[in-house]
Amino acid sequence: MKADMKKLVEVRNLKKYFPGSESSFFHTGNDVKAVDDVSFDIYEQETLGLVGETGCGKTTVGRTMLHLYRPTAGSILFNGVDLITLGEKELRHQRRKMQMIFQDPYASLNPRMTVGSIIGSPLDVHTKQDRKTKQDRVQELLEMVGLNPDFVNRYPHEFSGGQRQRIGIARALALNPEFVVCDEPISSLDVSIQAQVVNLLEDLQKKLGLTYLFIAHDLSMVRHISDRIAVMYLGKVVELADRDEIFLNSLHPYTQALMSAVPVPDPDLADKKHRIILEGDIPNPADPPVGCNFNTRCPIAVDKCFKEEPVYRETADKHWIACHLVK
Amino acid sequence: MTRYIIRRIISVIPTLIGVTFVIFMFQRLIPGDPAIAMLGEHATEDSINRIREQFGLNRPLFLDREALATGDLSGFFDSQYVNYMERLSHLDLGESIHRRIPVLETLKLRFPATVELSLLSMIIAILIGIPVGIISASRRNSLIDSVSMVGSLIGVSMPIFWLGLMEIMLLAVILKWLPAGGRLSTGFEINGITHLYLVDSLLNGDLAGFKDALSHIIMPAVALATIPMGIIARMTRSSMLDVLQEDYIRTARAKGLGGRLVLFRHALKNAALPVVTIIGLQAGTLLAGAVLTETIFSWPGIGRWVYDAILGRDYPIVQGGTLLIALIFVAVNLIVDILYALLDPRIRYK
Amino acid sequence: MTQINPEEFIVTDFAVREHRSLWGDAWRRLISSNTARLGMFVVILFISSATLSHFFWEYEPKKDLDYSLKLKAPNLTVTEEIPSIHPFGTDKLGRDIFRRVVHGGWNSLRVGIVAVGISLIFGGVIGLLTGFYETITMTTVERITLFGISGFLLGSLSAWIANQPLQLVGFTLLGLVAGYFEGFWAGQLKRVVFFSVLGILISAVPALFAGSSVALVCGVLGLLTGIFLALALDGRFFSNVMMRIMDMILSFPGYLLAIAIVAFLGPGLGKGMIAIGVVGIPVYARLTRSAVLSVVNKEYILAAQSVGESHGRIIFRHITPNILSPIIVQTTMGLANAILSAAALGFLGLGAIPPEPEWGAMLGDSYRYLTSGAWWAVLFPGLAIMLSVLGFNLLGDGLRDALDPKLRT
Repeated sequence: MKADMKKLVEVRNLKKYFPGSESSFFHTGNDVKAVDDVSFDIYEQETLGLVGETGCGKTTVGRTMLHLYRPTAGSILFNGVDLITLGEKELRHQRRKMQMIFQDPYASLNPRMTVGSIIGSPLDVHTKQDRKTKQDRVQELLEMVGLNPDFVNRYPHEFSGGQRQRIGIARALALNPEFVVCDEPISSLDVSIQAQVVNLLEDLQKKLGLTYLFIAHDLSMVRHISDRIAVMYLGKVVELADRDEIFLNSLHPYTQALMSAVPVPDPDLADKKHRIILEGDIPNPADPPVGCNFNTRCPIAVDKCFKEEPVYRETADKHWIACHLVK
Repeated sequence: MTRYIIRRIISVIPTLIGVTFVIFMFQRLIPGDPAIAMLGEHATEDSINRIREQFGLNRPLFLDREALATGDLSGFFDSQYVNYMERLSHLDLGESIHRRIPVLETLKLRFPATVELSLLSMIIAILIGIPVGIISASRRNSLIDSVSMVGSLIGVSMPIFWLGLMEIMLLAVILKWLPAGGRLSTGFEINGITHLYLVDSLLNGDLAGFKDALSHIIMPAVALATIPMGIIARMTRSSMLDVLQEDYIRTARAKGLGGRLVLFRHALKNAALPVVTIIGLQAGTLLAGAVLTETIFSWPGIGRWVYDAILGRDYPIVQGGTLLIALIFVAVNLIVDILYALLDPRIRYK
Repeated sequence: MTQINPEEFIVTDFAVREHRSLWGDAWRRLISSNTARLGMFVVILFISSATLSHFFWEYEPKKDLDYSLKLKAPNLTVTEEIPSIHPFGTDKLGRDIFRRVVHGGWNSLRVGIVAVGISLIFGGVIGLLTGFYETITMTTVERITLFGISGFLLGSLSAWIANQPLQLVGFTLLGLVAGYFEGFWAGQLKRVVFFSVLGILISAVPALFAGSSVALVCGVLGLLTGIFLALALDGRFFSNVMMRIMDMILSFPGYLLAIAIVAFLGPGLGKGMIAIGVVGIPVYARLTRSAVLSVVNKEYILAAQSVGESHGRIIFRHITPNILSPIIVQTTMGLANAILSAAALGFLGLGAIPPEPEWGAMLGDSYRYLTSGAWWAVLFPGLAIMLSVLGFNLLGDGLRDALDPKLRT
């Protein structure tokens, strides 16, 4: 990572809490702290992988970054502009630059719209182009994602899962965005199709100069596509570093446990691997533990971990960590 | 669990208040002055005013703004609605404007007739509807299935009053097997605690009375039961079909359990839920359908009574009768919800 | 890891199937069902006989009267006594029942369409809005409108008591302000106090001119209104309130409510249509709302939001097409129900004004002659009711099976 690369997106102290069952006007009772003070940057044309177990808040981060949820606190700067300061119309305009690809290829496309209209809807909303121009653009997009442009008038149910995901990608790219949040785009696909889609995403990134936030829980895929990786646990980022750093030299005990679980194809190497198995329960996000939120399962927790929250700080060059036990 | 029940019961209160309000409103908005209706068009100004005063009809509807303007705070609240609610709170339903008999009394007299009819209809509907549904589900797409489904659809499509009239035509006029109306033939009298003639006559050992009561009630009950029967049959069938397709039924069969055991032990319990809800909903329809049936069969219940009162602008009867019907409706829905929660363990933890 | 070259991966055409739309599939399923076909046939027969007879077969009910033909049994041939053919016999005023039954169809059709139309439009809109705003946050404009309306409604009580319509303006403005400044001092006591004080000012101060006790009562109301507006409750709250109101209407047995409405509005077929329509509103509201809720949580709605589509566009292009199935089924069944209810009202003497031909009213006229043997006056109108209702029910059933998502691959 060159030090002089420009930052496209900056997330500062982002918080997103959802009201719990005991909340009311005066008293924010047991709020679910889905995202609890998260900060990171994403550089132009890089892919930042965001991993963590189900429920750690990574999808919420993605959606809040695009202002699909209103942040409870914190700021999201896109090209230097804080999205919160934007009015509704300006925000809508800003959306041309930042798009999302969704997880479920079956639920993310309107079953009653043709593929052409689905891909074309961003054009309808944001441009005043005439029909011919829009049609041409839709054809272009279909070819770009590897689908036969003749199928423009078909309906989603006539396509397979992988193809539907491509349609979703085409829709996201319709307005030439700069930044794309990929929210677990391959989790619902067959393994053989996953590789195709990931390769397509990479190819498009090179061709169009895109910046990705790649949210996933499959570490091997993340490893392939990411330049840097951030690891989340229970609403907080616990570690952020270059991809190779994370895989070979992870510092946070949670990351280490995750890495140890990644399957290794070579059986001899696999035998030699030391598998860290976490014990203990995942805490309730509405009632996180005092101190470090990993202390219920951390194999090396000490006294301090139960009292004080670790500070998220930078250690070596570009390696961020939140743990008391790391220098 | 108990929390859910308590919450559910509490949520009934605003509904009840709304119900009393709407009942009150509709009566007052109907054109026509009950005082004139009672005394006739040529009555003197004086007597009309006297009647109005007596029934509190000259107070404003909700709030007396003029009283408030003069600083009379208690006069502000002296209105028809407030007085009505106040009397309701000690169950004073007033007197019939036309006949001067207390509403509560007549209600007590006529209510059992409607209850007996509705109960019997419901029993018939359940006793026939559920088995038909089960059989249709277990023999899907067979002749029995098609016949019973079309049959229940016909039942649902039939106007109650027409069916009743057809019954009278066939069984009373042409064949002369059954009496055409009323609850008992002249000369018969059945007294008892429940005021349900069928029950009381059995309790008294009065077989002749039982036969007579039965002959009178059977036609209206069947007529009233047709629509719920059809709905219950169809609901049972579709619910059973849904359940029978589930994996755990396949597992049970794979384990080697026989057809009937699978049907009853496993399938029925789970299929019961939507059926229970439907039965509850039908209760309300039954009470309402009572109006039509009671008209044709000259059945002395509250349905017809309330209907006549609406036309005759007899406010207290309308209020009392409709209130009772609405109360029963709300109570039945409440019971169904609670039953549902008891049967479906998933609901309890919400 | 071998690199797979994307260019080699243009998806080869999967076995090119005939293009099938979802509606086309449903139609095919509908046609193939025997019962549905029967239903369609009956419905088409009903609609065509009703419309054609209304426009092409002259009938003036007021002039139809012939005591000499009173209550004659059906006859298919002409005799000396009875110079005309009456396939269904005659009624108590000597009118040809067959003719009246055919013309009665037009009235039943009208009632069905208008009543279901009222229920569908009002209930559907209510259900759509409640379902939508229960999940999706309102834009500023939407919120301001909602709060302005709330202010208006809440303030109307105080305005009425003090007899000062100007208070309405004040409260509406207060509502608009509360909506616009939603985040202002949010969650703090200051906000509640601020709006309560304003509320009291708007209500009590002008009311002082009407009297001190008036000012007192109005002041209390102004306080409560201010508190409510300060709370800046979200769409979920208002949706809940609306559905609670719907439940209250539903807690009335439908027949009784319809009878009460007709008694209030007066007799006449038009009033009957309105009554049946109003009674049906909560049913459609509930149905639409639950359909909307199941759609609104799907990811393609989120996708539409991330593309930047407006709420209006989301409602029209994404939500409405996907909730049509249950609504279509309910509308068909609802037509059946409306015809049945209209007949019931007619039977009781509410509804069509005599001598308009209406099936229920015809039954109501003639049933007392049943015991003296005039079975035809009761059989045929009732048969007409039953068959037309049955037709719609069969069709609705067929539609439900055809549109059932479980059967779709």
